[in-house]
Amino acid sequence: MSRLPPLSRRTLLRGLGAMMALPLLEGMRPGVARGASQAPVPRRFVAFYTPCGIHMAKWTPSGEGPDWSLTPTLASLAPVKDDVLVLGGLDNLPGRPDGDGHHAAATSAFLSCVKARKTEGANIRTGISMDQVLANAVGKATRFPSLELGIDPGKGIGNCDSGYACPYANNIAWAGPSTPVPKETQPRAAFERLFADFDPNVTQAELAKRRAYGLSIIDAVRDDAKALQGRLGTTDRRKLDEYFTGVRELELRVNAMAGAGPTCGTAVAPARTEDVREKTKAMLDLIVLAFQCDLTRTCTFMLGNARSQRVYSFLGLSGEHHAYSHHQKAQANYDALAKIDKWEVEQYAYLLQRMKGVQEEGGTLLDHSAVYFSSEIADGNMHEHRNLPILLAGRAGGALAPGRHVRYGGQPLANLYVSLLNMFGVPASTFGDDGTGPLTGLAG
Amino acid sequence: MAVAVWLLVGCDSSVPRARVLPGPDAGGPVDPLDALCRSESRDPGRVTLHRLNRAEYDNTVRDLLGDTGQPSQDFPPDDHGFGFDNNADVLSMSPLLMEKYSHAAERLVEAAWAKGTLRTCVLDPATPEPCARDLLRSFARRAWRRPVSAQEVEGLVGFIALARQHGDGPEVGVKLALRSVLVSPHFLFRVELDPAPASPRTHPISDVELASRLSYFLWSSMPDEALLKVAERGRLRDPVVLETQVRRMLADPKARALVDNFAGQWLYTRALDFAQPEARYGFDEPLRQAMREETRLLFQEFITGDHRLKDLLDAPFTYVNDRLATHYGLPPPGTDAMTRVSLEGHPERAGLFGKGALLTVTANADRTSPVKRGVWVLEQLLCKGPPPPPPNAGGLAPTVDPTLNIKERMRQHRVDPTCSGCHTLMDPLGFGLENFDPVGRWRLKEEGGAAVDPSGELPGGKVFNGVVEMRAVVKQDPDLSRCMTRHLLSYALGRGAEPSDRCNVHDIAQQAESRGGRLVDYILAIVRSDAFQQRGGDTEGPKP
Repeated sequence: MSRLPPLSRRTLLRGLGAMMALPLLEGMRPGVARGASQAPVPRRFVAFYTPCGIHMAKWTPSGEGPDWSLTPTLASLAPVKDDVLVLGGLDNLPGRPDGDGHHAAATSAFLSCVKARKTEGANIRTGISMDQVLANAVGKATRFPSLELGIDPGKGIGNCDSGYACPYANNIAWAGPSTPVPKETQPRAAFERLFADFDPNVTQAELAKRRAYGLSIIDAVRDDAKALQGRLGTTDRRKLDEYFTGVRELELRVNAMAGAGPTCGTAVAPARTEDVREKTKAMLDLIVLAFQCDLTRTCTFMLGNARSQRVYSFLGLSGEHHAYSHHQKAQANYDALAKIDKWEVEQYAYLLQRMKGVQEEGGTLLDHSAVYFSSEIADGNMHEHRNLPILLAGRAGGALAPGRHVRYGGQPLANLYVSLLNMFGVPASTFGDDGTGPLTGLAG
Repeated sequence: MAVAVWLLVGCDSSVPRARVLPGPDAGGPVDPLDALCRSESRDPGRVTLHRLNRAEYDNTVRDLLGDTGQPSQDFPPDDHGFGFDNNADVLSMSPLLMEKYSHAAERLVEAAWAKGTLRTCVLDPATPEPCARDLLRSFARRAWRRPVSAQEVEGLVGFIALARQHGDGPEVGVKLALRSVLVSPHFLFRVELDPAPASPRTHPISDVELASRLSYFLWSSMPDEALLKVAERGRLRDPVVLETQVRRMLADPKARALVDNFAGQWLYTRALDFAQPEARYGFDEPLRQAMREETRLLFQEFITGDHRLKDLLDAPFTYVNDRLATHYGLPPPGTDAMTRVSLEGHPERAGLFGKGALLTVTANADRTSPVKRGVWVLEQLLCKGPPPPPPNAGGLAPTVDPTLNIKERMRQHRVDPTCSGCHTLMDPLGFGLENFDPVGRWRLKEEGGAAVDPSGELPGGKVFNGVVEMRAVVKQDPDLSRCMTRHLLSYALGRGAEPSDRCNVHDIAQQAESRGGRLVDYILAIVRSDAFQQRGGDTEGPKP
């Protein structure tokens, strides 16, 4: 059985130990030590999804280009205004459902720009998501090709959205047309996955042995699965293929174990909680930490699942998010939505400020990143798939010129993804159902 | 032909055939499905390779290793389909999950080894193989829910040699083997083999596969020794043995899984954990807890009790403690413990529609929702879900005159022709529950001060006034029994009941009702059915 060589970035990780002694939730000290011999600072990507659309009247800035003003909903972006692009007029028409099911269909198309097949059952089909295309291209360089995080574990009752199966509503990351990539919704579990493997007191010999044992188990179960393969029908084999993919990835992890990791394990793990504010903050902190440690370069984050019925009682609201989003032009509903939207943007602004606070060679972590924010729809009442509420922050290592409000007047969202992929060195010229080429105007 | 097979497998000979499949001369209204299903051949359908969901994983390691630490709480959430999170089609495997399984396996084996329960013999350092062979054969058989081949056992024993190469003793090798058993596809999936994978032919599943279907249906867990033994001896398809096993399993505390996983999702009560009613309703954790327990205990009584399943709608008893009784306006039993009480004199509280858990999860956080409640009755009890609303439809606009009662305010839905079709179906059933506030307290006045009007008229002209009359209408609906069957069958199989299952559903419902209509009768009718005992061919055809 072929074994991949140990990953070379491990050398890089050795330099990170000192920083990691800080408690996780109290902010990272800027100034990560990077060895002189390192490759250029990597570019990172985040997709930040928020459900049920945005009340656009209070979102859309006045002014264009570099002369634009923050609206009430965007007010919390003030400290990072020069790091943010507001992009208007982008449409994701593949997100339109057959009949109803706007939230699920548009959520599965959020990063894939592929129309989902309307089904509750076995033949789920959408497209590979942009973050996973990216992970396939750049993910081999890091311990985790991508990270998928979220807040909402789902209630597990009823149907998710008008004949669309729940995976469409609960996942924005898709490894392939029928393979959603599940997200972690408990910060503590995500933390342990990222860091608990690393034990600074373990000897190299012990690590080598653990690795050998781990790989032997993998060999054994892979043989089990191979023996099964020929005795199953097509749909069952598809599930078994998912298993093989899991085993292959596990093998990469086990292989990586032999090297010394970052001593990130000494950071303080977040407490188990269901408070959405604490969970969100902890998840966003984890994203920053994972980037700092170069454990991954691509991350998706779902602030809620499609058609979220969360009650924002801490904002003084008593109704459910989805119910408010069908505002019926009632002022009270607009006001409630604006409060929720503002809170959502505050979370995004927090992430940006944390990233801006991390110094790397040649700039901040934010300078080296593209941090994308949007919802599956624009106006929730009409399930509008045009003129989506889009923010794009960071400089992507120089590929983005932020600090502007750009209006596109109706271009496919997929073209933004073509551009982003290109920024990360992925030579795409089309994407999804309707992406025709890169979007102009992002680099200024 | 298919009907004959079904009668053979599915029927106890003491039951007169006419009661199972009544002919047109059996009296009463003729159901058009009767005639259709007499001639229609049965497709048992095909259950996709089923990954253990979180509850199944936790219960399985509990029964296999005695570990009750619920390792799945750190696993990513399972998706659900057709209303259940045991739907095999949407239970994906992912690299993240694989990693969690691997970690869990290591931790579980270490913990179990430390307890000593797995060490059934002594591993002689010089020749550990004989003991290891016994121990691993027995463990793998239980974990994989089937007999294990000698070759498979030797593969596991091979870990001892590996450990030796690295200077470790036989214990280390055995623990590695145990870990590999727990991340093997045979453990993580419920494997059902196809004798001829490329053939579209229907075939019976094996006896041990049937044992697993049964135990994951009733227990959300692995078969125990008694069930596995019966299956290995090829006796499980004997109708008497099968019925004995089902009754035994339902009497076991592990059948609590049916309450948590089937009823919790069918009746939506699982959503109670997430309910956030407005502070002014005085909803708090003790109340949430009492409501949850009430529904659990009620359903629990239906698992082994002598009640007809349909009586869930108007069962004249419930379980309350002082807090919940006060909340309901019932005499407090004088204890904090949940106590069975009669609902004589309180007919409005009888059955599901009087239960706080259900009434809370089908209300908005800040007001009742006749639409949500109506849709719940239609979808979960009658399987007559309305089509989805048009895109610009939404919640009730709050600008409407609050002194009008909700029924008058909602009249606007039915004025608009695009809305009226569905709302004349959904709303009345919800209006029947309007005497219950968003947390299930009885009320005669709405919050705005208007008098509650709990009357309704259903399409077809049936009228009712209040919850007691409304639930009588629902209980008499001929679709109730088939709908309960449909949900139970979806859950039992871990696949959605498709349109092609209509005769499966029809037959099961008829058989269950003819035998008394208890939950156990439904369960028995399901486990006797072709859908449960057989497996359709792969309609997608052979892989190129």
